[in-house]
Amino acid sequence: MTLTQSSKKTSGFSWKVLILPVSVFLVVAFSLGPILWQFLTSVKTNEAIVAIPNVYFPSFDQLTLNHYIELFARRPFLRYIFNSAFVAFTSTLLCLGFGAPAAYALARLKIPGRQLILTGVLIVTLFPYILLFLGLLELVKALNLGNNYLALIVPYTAINLPLTILVMRSFFQQLPKDLEDSAKVDGYGTVGMLLKIVLPMTLPALVTTGILTFIFSWNEFIFALTFITVEEMKTLPVAAAQLGGASIFEIPYGTIAAATVLGTVPLVVLVLFFQRKIVQGLTAGAVKG
Amino acid sequence: MRSNGGFYLAVAAIALVLVLGIHNLAFSQRPVKVNVLMQALEAAQWQSIVEEFEEQNPDIDLHIVEGPNASNLVEDLYTSSFLLGDSPYDLVYMDIVWTPKFAAAGWLTDLSDRISDEELSEFIDGDVNGGRYNDKLYRIPFRSDAGMLYYRTDLLEAEGFEPPETVEDLNRISQALMENDRVEWGYVWQGKQYEGLSAMFVEILEGFGGFWIDPETQDVGLDAPEAIAAVDFLTNTLENGISPPGVTTYQEEEARRFFQNGKVAFMRNWPYVWTLANADDSPVAGKIAIKPMIHQAGHGSGACQGGWGLGMVNTTQHPEEAWRVIEFITSRASQKQFVLETGYVPSRRSLFTDPDIVAKYAHYPQLLEVQEKSVLRPPIAQYAQASDILQRYLSSALTDRLSPEEAMRKAAEETRRLLGR
Amino acid sequence: MSGSNIRDRQRLTGWVLVTPALLILLLVYAYPIGRAFWLSLFTQNLGTELEAVFSGLSNYARIWGDGAFWNSIVNTTIFTVVALVLELVFGMAIALVLDRSFRGRGTVRTIAIIPWALPTAIMALAWTWIFNDRYGVLNDILMRLGLIDTGINWLGNPTLAMVSVIVADVWKTTSFVSILLLAGLQSIPQDLYEAHAIEGATPWQSFRQITLPLLMPQILIASLFRFAQSFGVFDLIQVMTGGGPAGATEMVSLYIYSTVRRYLDFGYGAALVVVTFLILIAVVAFTFYLLEKVRKSAGVDI
Repeated sequence: MTLTQSSKKTSGFSWKVLILPVSVFLVVAFSLGPILWQFLTSVKTNEAIVAIPNVYFPSFDQLTLNHYIELFARRPFLRYIFNSAFVAFTSTLLCLGFGAPAAYALARLKIPGRQLILTGVLIVTLFPYILLFLGLLELVKALNLGNNYLALIVPYTAINLPLTILVMRSFFQQLPKDLEDSAKVDGYGTVGMLLKIVLPMTLPALVTTGILTFIFSWNEFIFALTFITVEEMKTLPVAAAQLGGASIFEIPYGTIAAATVLGTVPLVVLVLFFQRKIVQGLTAGAVKG
Repeated sequence: MRSNGGFYLAVAAIALVLVLGIHNLAFSQRPVKVNVLMQALEAAQWQSIVEEFEEQNPDIDLHIVEGPNASNLVEDLYTSSFLLGDSPYDLVYMDIVWTPKFAAAGWLTDLSDRISDEELSEFIDGDVNGGRYNDKLYRIPFRSDAGMLYYRTDLLEAEGFEPPETVEDLNRISQALMENDRVEWGYVWQGKQYEGLSAMFVEILEGFGGFWIDPETQDVGLDAPEAIAAVDFLTNTLENGISPPGVTTYQEEEARRFFQNGKVAFMRNWPYVWTLANADDSPVAGKIAIKPMIHQAGHGSGACQGGWGLGMVNTTQHPEEAWRVIEFITSRASQKQFVLETGYVPSRRSLFTDPDIVAKYAHYPQLLEVQEKSVLRPPIAQYAQASDILQRYLSSALTDRLSPEEAMRKAAEETRRLLGR
Repeated sequence: MSGSNIRDRQRLTGWVLVTPALLILLLVYAYPIGRAFWLSLFTQNLGTELEAVFSGLSNYARIWGDGAFWNSIVNTTIFTVVALVLELVFGMAIALVLDRSFRGRGTVRTIAIIPWALPTAIMALAWTWIFNDRYGVLNDILMRLGLIDTGINWLGNPTLAMVSVIVADVWKTTSFVSILLLAGLQSIPQDLYEAHAIEGATPWQSFRQITLPLLMPQILIASLFRFAQSFGVFDLIQVMTGGGPAGATEMVSLYIYSTVRRYLDFGYGAALVVVTFLILIAVVAFTFYLLEKVRKSAGVDI
């Protein structure tokens, strides 16, 4: 740590001036380096990719879009993107639909066992998915849901419910209670009050939670790897991880790089637009619980 | 509350409609589609026999699904599609060691009634036996594979040695060649912790008269004196400097490059090496020969049986069409065409001495001699687990973390616990 | 309208709102884990042709003598502890940097979140490429710096493979830690530092005496989350090394996965799930206990 500077008396040029800019640069390089490298690899020709020493910034004739073209030509890559988006979007909607009402009840209404439910919800956020996969595999098989989007949508809804409940609950707790009381005076029932008064106010919170849910669902790997075997239904992370070349000797580095870029772009965009909300949601979910 | 329930219902209904709508893309085509999954590399090599088949059988569309190139990933894909109970495949193109697992899991159709003993007798015994589980036949062999000893004819002639029969021969000749600076090393093999280690060890074990697991009685022989002697032989090659220390990290390809660059006199490997080591750019081209594995005096050679064949998925909607594919692909004509095109090893005996094939690959008659000595890796349902246990402890013995006795005792104990004995 | 009537209605409404979510949670969390407890008492594997045969606690006896399992426990522990410590150190450093004021801070904060948001499986591919022994950029940089002469086979050597997966994991998850710690930093009132500085404390002393103690709840929570996730790490290892070479990066989750998927040893896999679950619960309970203590003492302190 660089906080040991003590006196301000040192005259002339001080290295300490550099500490902050250098640290900022390191943070940026650390965070973006691997993605940038992947992007550079994805637009280089195969010759440039395997050049030794490495080509960092390809010259004009070393640039190509072939790896991207190949992805769509040889694999149903649009389909993978659609699968990921569809599954993530649907489970996000379901998660909000089930999670928000539950969070409201846990924040406002007196129900017996509330503390128990909250503790349970908090603990299951810590469960790695590997603990669930054996039981879920049996369920999927028994319900004949293999190679069906439901085999992913239902687990994704569930694994995001705890976070949704915790985040939404902390938002509901911050809402002024007077509002709901006056709505009741105006003759709204609980449900009517929820839909007409509370829901519009929690829209920002719903967006926050929804983004987190979407990210987690988009990124999920182990269930998607296990419950889907048909090529047309695979999600992007699984499909990317299984990309292989036309021969043992040829590992398609460029194509894999292109796949990683395509798989990460939507998320980078999400982060760029919703940075604040993501931070809000994460801290609310982790700290307030 | 009413509107609330309605909301849930609507969400559920929308989800359901979307899911079903997208899932059920009807598939009804005129020719019957028969699906089989295999490594992308081999799928490309199958191209011409598939075309040939479809030409002769216009009512069947033989569809090859390209899988990853690592065979364990292909096994995983098959396994998960069977586990989910909705297999998109009609045939399984399988490695010999998958047979007991897939059969025990109840995923394959018994083919015993579809083929006569007479027809079966035309295939190499090891290939056929590797397709059996509990006296039923689940796999018809297509191409075969076996481990053997490669040696440098030029070096042996120069020093006046006969090709080695026993482990003592191998040690003696290696020492002599190294002392006279003919080669850097004597013997190279596959010592990395992976399936190839088990395959290689099966041969040494056979050569020392030991056994791994008896499939009938489920007895485990890994801690028997013969097995420990076999491990001793391997560790001694390292201690005596006959084998380079790197072999504990070698797979087939590392060993081949070592041998092909002329650094070693003997090598244990599979048939595929022959073509590569005799290629024009190979320093040892024309200076090599093959023979069955070395063994201890008083015992016989063992060649680990490998190879690929076709089985039928028991949930297939088209068993008759699937069987016609199996018959065609494993037929003499198809195998011959495939062998001539790719240089793989056939599973039918008569092809090893077929004039056209011998004209192209002169060593195939010798190869048959090796294939006839084949030994199976234990054809038990839990083979994958047993093999992983063996690999782990063999590797600790080879890298000196455990003594051979200790390693084999532990391996035997764990294997017995696995088999519930 | 009587009071108890309102309470009853409220209670009923509450249950109606909570029940659907609870049912899903029970289905996806409680059922599989309960099922694992039950199934762990049976032998259901290829040896029994996938029929479940009651076998009491014999699966647990097998775990005791299973070298591969203990190997995976050791690997997982090393991975978790090293990654966790590095993530806390780097996460704290990044949080401290992001807490300073400088131009473009908003953008840098956004960038710092990106690694957390990306799919682990996909970034594992990126790291595999970075660590590639022949064309990898890491070897290239090291060679240009003159630190090595020939490329290092990072993922092919047991020790280096562990180092590699730890590096990739630290990259991926440090941003999560720094987000939580930054939130904590921002909630510390600035006047505390000013008062401390007037008393003549150095920045290092302020960090030790104010920042660290006040941040303790966030540190513990971040550690708890990271512990649980690292202990169950799957995607990253599966894609980068598959547990190899020679089992050097085989984690508990990978062993469970291959026991079920490759060996089809369902009863034994269930027993492995139960044991892992119990280990996890024990550590979580202990951390909650610590958290409670820290919260109390922090409340008294300030």
